[in-house]
Amino acid sequence: MKTKYIIIAALAAMALANTSCEKVSPQGVLMAGTAVEDRVQMSNLYYKEHLFEMKFNYDLMNKHDEYTFLVGGDSHVTTDPGRMDEMFAIGLEGDDLFYAHLGDIADTKAEYYIVLDSLLDEAKKRYVVENYVQNEYGRWVHKTHPEDIIGSTYEEIKFPFFPVVGNHDLTHNGWALWSNIFGSSFYTFDVMIDDGSEGGEPIYDHFIFLDTASGTLGKTQIDLIEDGVLDGWYKYRHTFVFSHTNLFRPSSMQFASTFSREETFFLLQQFDEWFTTAVFCGHVHAWDDRVYNDVTYLTLDSMSERNSPEPGDYLVRVHVKKDGDWSWEKVHMDYVSPKKK
Amino acid sequence: MITATSLCAWAQDSYIPYKAYDGEHKHEASAYVMGGDNVVSGKFGGLAVSYNHHFTPRWHLGGNAQIQMWKRLYSFNVTGGYRLPVKFGHLYFDGKLMLNRYNRWGFSEFIANASVTWESAYVDLRLGESLIHFWSKDVYFEDRYGYTEPLTLTFGFGVNIRHRNNPWNIGFFFRNYDDFYYENWNINWGLRWYARIYKQWRLFGEFNIRPAGSMSQLASRYEGSVKLGVKYKW
Repeated sequence: MKTKYIIIAALAAMALANTSCEKVSPQGVLMAGTAVEDRVQMSNLYYKEHLFEMKFNYDLMNKHDEYTFLVGGDSHVTTDPGRMDEMFAIGLEGDDLFYAHLGDIADTKAEYYIVLDSLLDEAKKRYVVENYVQNEYGRWVHKTHPEDIIGSTYEEIKFPFFPVVGNHDLTHNGWALWSNIFGSSFYTFDVMIDDGSEGGEPIYDHFIFLDTASGTLGKTQIDLIEDGVLDGWYKYRHTFVFSHTNLFRPSSMQFASTFSREETFFLLQQFDEWFTTAVFCGHVHAWDDRVYNDVTYLTLDSMSERNSPEPGDYLVRVHVKKDGDWSWEKVHMDYVSPKKK
Repeated sequence: MITATSLCAWAQDSYIPYKAYDGEHKHEASAYVMGGDNVVSGKFGGLAVSYNHHFTPRWHLGGNAQIQMWKRLYSFNVTGGYRLPVKFGHLYFDGKLMLNRYNRWGFSEFIANASVTWESAYVDLRLGESLIHFWSKDVYFEDRYGYTEPLTLTFGFGVNIRHRNNPWNIGFFFRNYDDFYYENWNINWGLRWYARIYKQWRLFGEFNIRPAGSMSQLASRYEGSVKLGVKYKW
């Protein structure tokens, strides 16, 4: 509820700052509301202060042979959050470890973010009911660890939804709304596969989320990357990277605001140095998969019911097995807006 | 030849007056220094040189080279073209083969470009197509990987405040290319100028803003640069 009040306050501020709240305006076409340098500096501060919360060491491999995560993007939520709701339902049904979103999560109107925030609240409730039980002290404990006597309060449970910021999230001072809900646009977390307690080296997988909503990483983010801020603490088995802006054009006939030359080469080299397994991108509302330098690049189509009104394979589920093998598959979405029926 | 980035200066020198090449010189040599600030590499400086030869009043062939320090970018290209006079100005049919080495990141790039430029007294417009191929080696410098963009549209627009056969001029441009690169949907824009300082000498310059993600609600400044050069013809 607190977030809702903040959003409403942000709405009032935006009403003063903008004479128009249309989805696309000349202002939005030519310039983003908050510069990438400011966003990354804010995000990095938030990231450092919430490092513990952002670090997820799941040891579910002790229970399962593999873990999975679900990726979608460009949902452009307006008043109809049907596709986002379906994504959360698919993740619950598939027992995915977490959700990753590739940006442009909502079109930038405060009311759309209120819709989104309510949806996230509801999705968290379903996630907690599905995965947690309350112990005798009223604390929530994960079903895989029923012996846990400490547990968590409901508020302490992190709903495992990890977005990157997209360009549509920024227009009309949208960063204020986006950052109020998600905090940071530049962060990492790890998944612990094996803690090494039975001998051998601990095994971790690494997940990196970049702020590319302005079509560039910006100087601050590049400096932080070069300083190793996203490198993590371990020697990783897999590294997965998430970016809104895509690196490769899905079609030669398609215009797309891919990165400029130097930044493309910087990123491709950086992915190589991170020994990246796969990079997930959105932005262009078109599917593309390719491999460059042993890195898999998946660009996802828009899951928005307005951009992709027909049912289709808009999500990707990634399977990561305990032995290190990994694979991906497209996941079908059925939701159709009532207006289209 | 300073290619299309200083198209007004090039055209002014090469095809004086604009209705027809003057036929009095066959050689053009030019050089410019540049400086700027790039998001990835930070401040950079560079030097470019070029030579253009007019075989006839219609046909020309040239070569261009540049080095950009700190970016560690090394470029070379050859270009040739044909000028066709039309009712309102000229049409230039040009081809270019270019090789770039982005040594800082270990990438090489080959570009083949074909373009048509319409140039009138005050306005010039360019449309073209580029095939772009880049390649690199893996972190162990063992395996080689490549990627090809077979179709990348070239477009450029420029307008001068004075008639193009004036001895000095100032103009505005926007385009998705520069002397040594072609982009997809990132649109440069800026100011250009030239001035005759002696019969065979020209000064020219440019201020260029190179954004990232323009025309797609992103539009952050990616690189700002200035160029200052001199051209000699004989």
